[in-house]
Amino acid sequence: MMSLTNKEDRWGVEKLRLAFPKKNTMLFKDVSFHFEAKEKILLLGPSGCGKSTFLHVLSGLAPKSIELPMRTKWKRIPERWGYIFQDPETQFCMPYVDEEIAFVLENRRIPRVRMPQLIQYYLDLVQLKLQNSHQLIRTLSGGMKQRLAIASILALEPEILFLDEPTALLDPEGTETLWQTVRRIGHDRTLIIVEHKIDHVLDFIDRVVLFNADGEIFADGPKNDILTRYKSKLDAFGIWHPDAWAGYSGRKELQNTDSIDRDSPVLTLKHFVVYRQKKAQFTAEQLTIFRGEWVAIIGRNGAGKSTLIEGIMGLLRSNGQIQWPFKKPEDHVQFVFQNPEHQFITDTVEDELAFSLRIQKLSDDEIEHRVSRQLEKYDLKNERLQHPFQLSTGQKRRLSVASAMINHPDVLILDEPTFGQDARNTFALLDLFQQLQNEGTTIVMVTHEMEIVRRFATHVVHVDGGRIIKDDCDGYKQSGGAEWVTS
Amino acid sequence: MGDIIANRGKLFFKVNPSLKFLLTSSLFILYLFVHNLNTMIWASVFFLVLYVFACGLSGKWSFGFVLLTLILSLFSASAMILFGKGNTVIFHYSLIMMTQESLARGIMLGLRTFCFSLIGMVFATTTLPVPFFYSLMQQLKVPVRYAYGCLAAFRMLPVMGEELGHIRQAMRVRGMANQHGVKAFSNKMIRYLLMMLAQSIRRAQRTAIAMEAKRFSMTEARTYYYEIGWSVYDLYFLFILLITVTSGFICSSLFPVTPFTNVLDH
Repeated sequence: MMSLTNKEDRWGVEKLRLAFPKKNTMLFKDVSFHFEAKEKILLLGPSGCGKSTFLHVLSGLAPKSIELPMRTKWKRIPERWGYIFQDPETQFCMPYVDEEIAFVLENRRIPRVRMPQLIQYYLDLVQLKLQNSHQLIRTLSGGMKQRLAIASILALEPEILFLDEPTALLDPEGTETLWQTVRRIGHDRTLIIVEHKIDHVLDFIDRVVLFNADGEIFADGPKNDILTRYKSKLDAFGIWHPDAWAGYSGRKELQNTDSIDRDSPVLTLKHFVVYRQKKAQFTAEQLTIFRGEWVAIIGRNGAGKSTLIEGIMGLLRSNGQIQWPFKKPEDHVQFVFQNPEHQFITDTVEDELAFSLRIQKLSDDEIEHRVSRQLEKYDLKNERLQHPFQLSTGQKRRLSVASAMINHPDVLILDEPTFGQDARNTFALLDLFQQLQNEGTTIVMVTHEMEIVRRFATHVVHVDGGRIIKDDCDGYKQSGGAEWVTS
Repeated sequence: MGDIIANRGKLFFKVNPSLKFLLTSSLFILYLFVHNLNTMIWASVFFLVLYVFACGLSGKWSFGFVLLTLILSLFSASAMILFGKGNTVIFHYSLIMMTQESLARGIMLGLRTFCFSLIGMVFATTTLPVPFFYSLMQQLKVPVRYAYGCLAAFRMLPVMGEELGHIRQAMRVRGMANQHGVKAFSNKMIRYLLMMLAQSIRRAQRTAIAMEAKRFSMTEARTYYYEIGWSVYDLYFLFILLITVTSGFICSSLFPVTPFTNVLDH
């Protein structure tokens, strides 16, 4: 083993020990891992097992840029590597597309005269077709931003690419294009990928590494061996694999129409027009939602789904008729943002839950009682005093739903609640929504996930070009489903 | 922010940003030592003319800004005018005492504010951040870490604007917007500030790591995508400023509009 570790294109760590400051337990204890040139490796594990930190170590970002107390018996960090991060917003330091790639070229001390040609070359590599490369980065879509991130990383001419859940914040379309790009440019490079949506990744990787919740590598080998031998582990980790949905819905009958009360509408829209920046962006001629329904609002990107629900919530200016059967709708209708971080306005999980109760001036005992019960129900007991931003993706989502539900609203409106969630969290959320629906809550959600529409929705609203083009009160299943077009 | 800048072809856009920066800042210092009211009046006139021709804003914005500046200048003048000391009383009512001297000093102060805003605006609206910081690195040898740090911060401004919108929406959805009164207001402001601060720190940290992952080095030499050099426009700029400033001084001695040649004297 030791004789091998000095080979030219073989990198990795041996007996890595690493801990986060102020934590009692070690994240990694004596972990060893090697990789060679041209390998395509996928790292899988439950959320919070330290895969991202592991990538930081392998790339040398930790401890060089991210200071962490760590020790290794042996370590060999590659020279030429590139790193793609999760968040497309925070990877750039320049305002324009060409300047961002130029920033990397400047770092490499490429002469100025060669830059324009190289910038175009790297943009072509990721097939980012822009009329003019001097375009503001913030005008690009999330998927285009991530491809720009790859283009600027390719400008480093890396041998090894580290990808840390690069599609976590992308829609399905952006996700697919991104992986096509990675597949093309990764052909003669080494790829080390952390990802929990593995549908698009599986066919071009050849080695899979499994971590357990304690940060130990318990399986490492060729893709097919590992995936067949540890199939049950994938579900336990919440990995989105091709059979994930089948495994979930096999457990029970899902669509619930018993709770619907067709005599009692909770929301009626007539000639309802929503404005964004003084322009009419959405027109709903007629829409009625009944108590106990599970409404799915679907449609392509930019079709106006979010505009519609933000108009309903009064976050955008609107015109026309909107009718609730409540005296004070704000006490009966709750909204959950797509990004749970946008929901949070306090500094601890506990305060976040108690927030609306304090506004209502409930007694301290009552608040304490309700908060404790909610912490229990949404599995956030141990996080009670943490800052909402420090929670994991799944916990953040649960907290945002928990704080919306603490007042027992009649209607819960959600903007893509399962976005960016791993399979386990998604299924847990769906179970929860269904339980709420059984208890009489009306659920209205914008979603891209057709599996949810197919399995749960009792009422599907299809939106396109700022209009409702199909309003089906019987849900997806009953109406045959074949004619539904997905994005 | 870039949307309100209308015409990027104007002459002042082509001037070397470092030169523009140094000259405009020296104007601030120059007018700090002017105590002749006539000079200040004429300077205001000439800088207003310069502003009208050189400003990078579109007509509507540019006019709006002059209006805003005038109001601001009135405020800074009023304190001096209404409560200043002097011998020749014009108007007296309880605490308010207006004298000729205080009036002159007040107008002086107001016009100085007005001039400074115009000069600052001419600079700010004709200088784009990227060439400015590149020029600072190349001509004034500003360390790269500050220049790129500032550029990264500039990129975050629109993101912060969006975020403000998100927090406002969250406040509405969570029922905080319906709270009224002083305590609720101060609570709300603290929430806004804390949220913005927390998010900005997180973003800055991530961007810094991403920059280092792109091999940004604070110490090693680097090449530049934009080479900011000198041109004949720099000479034009120098001349235009010289003409504006000197004609102000000349007019004030040829056509003194007021008797106050030194407002500190009286």
